[in-house]
Amino acid sequence: MMPSRRVDRAWKHASLHLALLAVSFCMLLPFYWVLKTSLTGENIFVYPPSVIPVDPHPFYYVDVWYYIPFPRYLLNSVVVSVLAIAANVVFNALAAYALTRHFRGRGAIITVLLSCMMIPFQTTIVPAYLITAKLGLLNSYLGLALPTFSTIVCIFVYKASFEAVPRSLIDAARIDGLSELQIIRRIMLPLATSAVATNVVLSFVWSWNNFLWPLIIVRDPMMQTLPLGLSRFLSYHENTTGALYAFCIMVLAPGILLFLMAQKEFIRGLTSGATKA
Amino acid sequence: MKRAGFLRVLRHRFVAVPLVIAVIVVAWNLYVAAHNDGIVRGEVVGPDGRPVAGATVSMMEQNFTTNSDRGKTQTRADGSFEFTDNRSHNIQLRAEKAGLGRSRLVVVRLYFQAQNVTLRAPLRIEARG
Repeated sequence: MMPSRRVDRAWKHASLHLALLAVSFCMLLPFYWVLKTSLTGENIFVYPPSVIPVDPHPFYYVDVWYYIPFPRYLLNSVVVSVLAIAANVVFNALAAYALTRHFRGRGAIITVLLSCMMIPFQTTIVPAYLITAKLGLLNSYLGLALPTFSTIVCIFVYKASFEAVPRSLIDAARIDGLSELQIIRRIMLPLATSAVATNVVLSFVWSWNNFLWPLIIVRDPMMQTLPLGLSRFLSYHENTTGALYAFCIMVLAPGILLFLMAQKEFIRGLTSGATKA
Repeated sequence: MKRAGFLRVLRHRFVAVPLVIAVIVVAWNLYVAAHNDGIVRGEVVGPDGRPVAGATVSMMEQNFTTNSDRGKTQTRADGSFEFTDNRSHNIQLRAEKAGLGRSRLVVVRLYFQAQNVTLRAPLRIEARG
C-alpha cells in the first residue's frame, strides 16, 4: 500500500473515532452528572459547577433505601418485569411462528398488527382498565404485567429471526415427528437467541419504566413499582437533590446492567432481517 | 466433559454477573447482621481537650425533614459514652455540661441502620463566649 494512502486511511480512522468519542461524551455526560450528584448532593444550579465530585459518599443511597419502602418497590418491579419477560418470550414466539406459516388472511393479520402499533396506549387505557377490573386483577402483579405480556415490535423481531431458519430444517423436524410447539421450542428458539435476548431486554425496559399503567391500577402503596415510587418520592421530599438522583440511579441500574449483558445479542436481534431483500 | 460444560455455563455472563451480585448481596447482609447492634460510642472533651465526666450526650434521629429525640446518656469518668439502642442510619449527637457549655451538633451517617460505630473525633464542648 502507498504511504500516502495509508496516512489518508489513518486520518479517516482517527477522525471517525474522534467523532464517535464526541458523540459518546454528549450521550454519557447526563449519566455522569446524575451519578456525580447522587454521590455529592450538589445542587444542579450551583455555579460554577464542579466537574469532579467533591467529597463523594454513598449515604444518599442509604437514605433512599431506608426512608421509603425501596426494597418493596424493587420487589414489585422485579416481579412485574419477570412476568412480562416470561410472557413476551413465550407468547411472541408463538405469534411470530404462526406468522411465518402460510395461511389465508396472514397478510391481513400482519396489516392489523402493524396498524395497532400506531395506536398509543393512552387511548386504550380505559378498556384495558375495565377488562383488568372485570378479571379482578386490580392491585395485583398479574394486572400490572398484563398489558405488557405481548408487544408487536417483539413479535416482528422474532418473525424476522424465524424466517432466517431454513425451511428444510423445519420440514426435517416435522418428518421426525415433532409437533409445532416442539419445533418452536427445540428448533426455532435455540436458533433465535438474538431475538430472545432482544425480547428480554425490550420487555424488561418497557415494563420496568412503565409509569402510567401502574399509576392507574394500583391503589395499595405497597404494590407500587419503582417509577411510581420515584414520583411519590418527588412529591414528599422537595429539597433532596442527592437522594433524588441516587433514587434515579437505583431505578436505572438494573436496566443498564441487563442491556450491557445482552447488548451483543440485542443489536443482532434488532438488525437481523434488516438487510434481507 | 460434564464438568467442562458446567464451568462454561458458569462463566457465561448471564450466569456469572447475577451470581457475583448474589454473592455480594449475601456477604453484605451477613456483615450487616453481625454489626447492627445499635451501639454508638464516643468521647466528650472540654475546650482544653481534656475528657469531661458527667456531660449529657443527646442523640437525635434525623429524617429528611425532621429530627426526633432518641435518648440521652451521661459520660463516664474518662469522658466516654455509649448508646446501645440506635436504630437509625442517620443520627446527630450533641454533648452538654452545665457551667461548661455545649458541643456543636455532629451528624453521624451510617452505612446501614443500627450500625455499630465509634466516633473518630470526640465531641468538643465549646466554652460559652
